[in-house]
Amino acid sequence: MQEYIESGSIESCVLGLADQAEQQELERMCAAYPEVRAARDAFEASLEASAMAGAVAPPPALRDSIFEKITQPESGSLTQPAPVVELPTPEAYSGVGWKKYLVAASVILLAGSAVLNIYLYNRYQQSDSLYKDLLAQQQQLAENNNSIQTRLNELETDLSRIKNPNVQPIKMTAVNNTNSLTTVYWDKNAAEVYLLVNQLPKPEPGKQYQLWAIVNGKPVDAGVIDLEPGDGLVKMKNIPSAEAFAITLENAGGSQSPTLTAMYVLGKV
Amino acid sequence: MTTANTYTEPELVQLLRQKEETAFKYLYDHYAGALNGVILQIIPDQALASDVLQEVFVNIWRRMETYDASKGRLFTWMLNIARNAAIDMTRSKAYQNSQKNRELDSDVHIQPEGTNPSLDHIGLSKVIGQLKEEHRVLIDLAYLKGYTHEEIAKLLEIPLGTVKTRIRAALLQLRKFLT
Repeated sequence: MQEYIESGSIESCVLGLADQAEQQELERMCAAYPEVRAARDAFEASLEASAMAGAVAPPPALRDSIFEKITQPESGSLTQPAPVVELPTPEAYSGVGWKKYLVAASVILLAGSAVLNIYLYNRYQQSDSLYKDLLAQQQQLAENNNSIQTRLNELETDLSRIKNPNVQPIKMTAVNNTNSLTTVYWDKNAAEVYLLVNQLPKPEPGKQYQLWAIVNGKPVDAGVIDLEPGDGLVKMKNIPSAEAFAITLENAGGSQSPTLTAMYVLGKV
Repeated sequence: MTTANTYTEPELVQLLRQKEETAFKYLYDHYAGALNGVILQIIPDQALASDVLQEVFVNIWRRMETYDASKGRLFTWMLNIARNAAIDMTRSKAYQNSQKNRELDSDVHIQPEGTNPSLDHIGLSKVIGQLKEEHRVLIDLAYLKGYTHEEIAKLLEIPLGTVKTRIRAALLQLRKFLT
């Protein structure tokens, strides 16, 4: 019990530093032991005396202000008491302010994000259409490349035929007043005949040029000619032997025998 | 208007519970200075301390029914109301903002503004000032600043058990100086 008095618990409780359990213990001890009660009373008395000794007079105006305050509810008792409005504490205000800023920041971020989305979507659409254009261009170029490649292959084939030492070029010059000129490249060993149209007038509709080989003084059909601009060597029918080649203009599809009045070019082997 | 009457404590409590204004004026005239002195220990600015003192007396008037004489003296009850109100004030945003430009007051010997310097060495302040440094700091933090034992342990970086032991020792020292 003396130990309790010397524990500092009494002072702790009196000064309001103790928790609920400690307060309740002091109450129990005070009820049970007059000595504890006496010790508490003594400390309280000395505390009060000390506070009295350290008194500092408050401003005189405060007294009236406080009395006015405590008498207000009395004088207002006849009327309906004013409803108590809970004012938000500064903490509550700061909480609301904090949230306000957060909400404002969120809205700004959202708006910014929306603007950015629109901007990026536009950019995406631009890029997408540009990409499609490029894809089409690339396809076009690939096609061009293919056709050029094909054409190059044809020309290379033509060139290799012309360069072939076994192939004999036979220049066929105009026999009428046109400036016509054609060349036959003839591989005698293989009997292959290729025709190069240097220049021939465009045939009338329903007409077609026809190549003839002159064999032993008689014309032999070497095939009809389809004039295509830019064409290179055109393979004609095989001719094993001939003294000369000639081209006449015939009805479309060719004739059994040449129309000699419509001969355009002639070239001797 | 001051009254020449004196009351015993039970009489005073009884009259206050009956909302007897004369008794309240007596109470104010008798204790306002002592409570003001304690509040000034926590809030050195008299203007702010006056706000707290007003709140304290209004609360005493309104909450008289909650006073339990079996738990202690009337002054102890009022002292705790005053201390709690003052510490609450120091924790309000408004107070903390007003203190921003002040120097940190690590010393318990806060000189109340507008008070006679000689008052500094009487009463509670004097008693606390007599304590050993390690005790004084703890009483300052625990009693005048209202920190919990856990907060003090964290603040001073000493174990919680040590805080409790030292506060007990400080309180016993305090009692010795008071009596």
